[in-house]
Amino acid sequence: MNEDFWLVLTVAAVWALLAAVYALAPWGDMIGYARVWGFGSLLFLALAALLFQHRPRHRPKEDTP
Amino acid sequence: MTHERPMAGTYAQRLSALPSGDRRLLSSMAGAALATLALGILGGLMTALARAGFVAIVPETAYRLLTVHGVSTFFYWLYLAQAALLLGFAAIEDTNGLAWRRVAWTGFLAIIAGFVFSMAGSHMGTPLLYDGAPDLAADEPRMLLLFNLGYLLLGVALMLLPTAAIATLLAPRREGRRDRLSAVGFALFAWAGFLIVSGFAAVYAFLPGTLWALGLADFPTTHSTNWHILLHNMHYLPLMATVLMWYVLVQLLTGANSIFGERFSKLVFTMYLVFVPPTSLYHMFLEPDLPGIIVTAGSILSLLVSVPTLTAFLVIVMSVERHARANGASGFFGWLGYLPWRNPAMTAIGAAAINLAFGLVFAFVLIQGELAPLLSDTFFVPGYFHFFTVGTVSLTLLAALAVMLPALRNAELGRPSLLRVMPWLATAGLLIFGGAGVAAGYLGVPRRVVEVGYGDATPPFWRSLMTFVAAGGILMAVALLIFALGVAATLLPWRRTSPRSAGPTVDWSFSQPRLDAAAWLGPASVLAIVAGMYLFTAIGFELMQSLPIIASGGGGH
Repeated sequence: MNEDFWLVLTVAAVWALLAAVYALAPWGDMIGYARVWGFGSLLFLALAALLFQHRPRHRPKEDTP
Repeated sequence: MTHERPMAGTYAQRLSALPSGDRRLLSSMAGAALATLALGILGGLMTALARAGFVAIVPETAYRLLTVHGVSTFFYWLYLAQAALLLGFAAIEDTNGLAWRRVAWTGFLAIIAGFVFSMAGSHMGTPLLYDGAPDLAADEPRMLLLFNLGYLLLGVALMLLPTAAIATLLAPRREGRRDRLSAVGFALFAWAGFLIVSGFAAVYAFLPGTLWALGLADFPTTHSTNWHILLHNMHYLPLMATVLMWYVLVQLLTGANSIFGERFSKLVFTMYLVFVPPTSLYHMFLEPDLPGIIVTAGSILSLLVSVPTLTAFLVIVMSVERHARANGASGFFGWLGYLPWRNPAMTAIGAAAINLAFGLVFAFVLIQGELAPLLSDTFFVPGYFHFFTVGTVSLTLLAALAVMLPALRNAELGRPSLLRVMPWLATAGLLIFGGAGVAAGYLGVPRRVVEVGYGDATPPFWRSLMTFVAAGGILMAVALLIFALGVAATLLPWRRTSPRSAGPTVDWSFSQPRLDAAAWLGPASVLAIVAGMYLFTAIGFELMQSLPIIASGGGGH
């Protein structure tokens, strides 16, 4: 796992946290925010999973110019 | 560990070497994007002329033109161009071209169908403006259905097109040929994800009205909130695209890579996504019943909104400055002369950086909790946001297309010597349009009103300011149209020649940047932006305190 995976996972975590805040907010009608950011959180979680799943099992050849 | 290949001189070759099916799709998307831009410019120009009283248009027609302007440019031009660039630069991250090309074609056809529905909806019934508020169409469900189908198809397209880009970017990893994305590849990956979320937001905003129009649901009551969610994404995405294109174009035009390294660049592009949800609160400042704590929290969080853009700006400018100094440049501004200004793409991104500074200054005035209710329904809004939409984003997307299309098509830009002047002309027009517009906003001239004289009941200088707005608008429109036509010339079959380069460039890819040299222009620019924010905020507060009214929101952002 490299920084690609961890950075995308960070996005998923922050969006999930914000979606939860919006879902539980006692003021206004913020459920729309919660649903959109919640969808985004799941999407970036799936993207992180793809980055995890598609990591090379052997060291690739150097891609030099 | 793999490394990103040096970019200068290779982008054009890799674009030119893409499979013909990829090149056909990307050229079609770029051509469609330019057509929507031209239509949107004409709609905007006619609106500006009508406001100044230069042409007589009945209000309903003027609102229809304003709807065409907003829908065509803000949604279809900006997102077709972004999708074309996303797919194009994703395709050349590897040697095999686009993966899932059929999905991309389906997305492209959906966006074209969406545009047809949106334009049909704009020309029928009550003009809805670009936010398509269902309240205006309460008696015309069929018209709302037509209009909403356009945005729904756009939303679906914004989920399909980036999916093809993601599949393309993951292909080398899936096949075990690379273990990590390049900085550009990672930014494209993040951008694609954000586009999909925005497509979902579009569907979420416009599906309830569509279901109501079909008789399948109650009248939508939450459209305003759902629209603000979509609008927040639609504000943010083009700026992310802009700085990513600056990052790519600077590498292509100068060969200068980031002196901060690929990992830091990835971190900066991640910041865009991290800061999106928490900064969205300021769109609600116009809601009259918003609790005070939310206004305070929103004001504080909104300060983060430009952090990624300014950081990326610093990374790019400081990297280029240090490369230029390693190649003999000296003086505080002297290194700027080493950049390839004969290239239209270079002048476009140079002008875009200046316009971004103006846009940021005025944006920070507007998003403050105290000033937002006072200014949000005035001409301050179109005055400031054209610095972003035209001066920053459109010029940058055109610059990127001016690099991508000649390589894809093996064709020359039309009159490059004329094109390289156009970004400066557009900026001059923008300074007149935006300067007069912001001043008009401070003085209370309303937005979305065609006849600002109200039968001579308003101060005469309101009309004078609108005359300046129209004059600036004409300059802007002409300059942008000429640049767009010059780029579109590459699509003409008879302009295809031998393989073309990206135009005049410099190549600093083989020199080490001077890390010991001072690189102050970037930080000084940020300081100037902060000083500008302070100045125009102070002016706003002075004006607010001198007015004998208490501003309260009306929910009409």
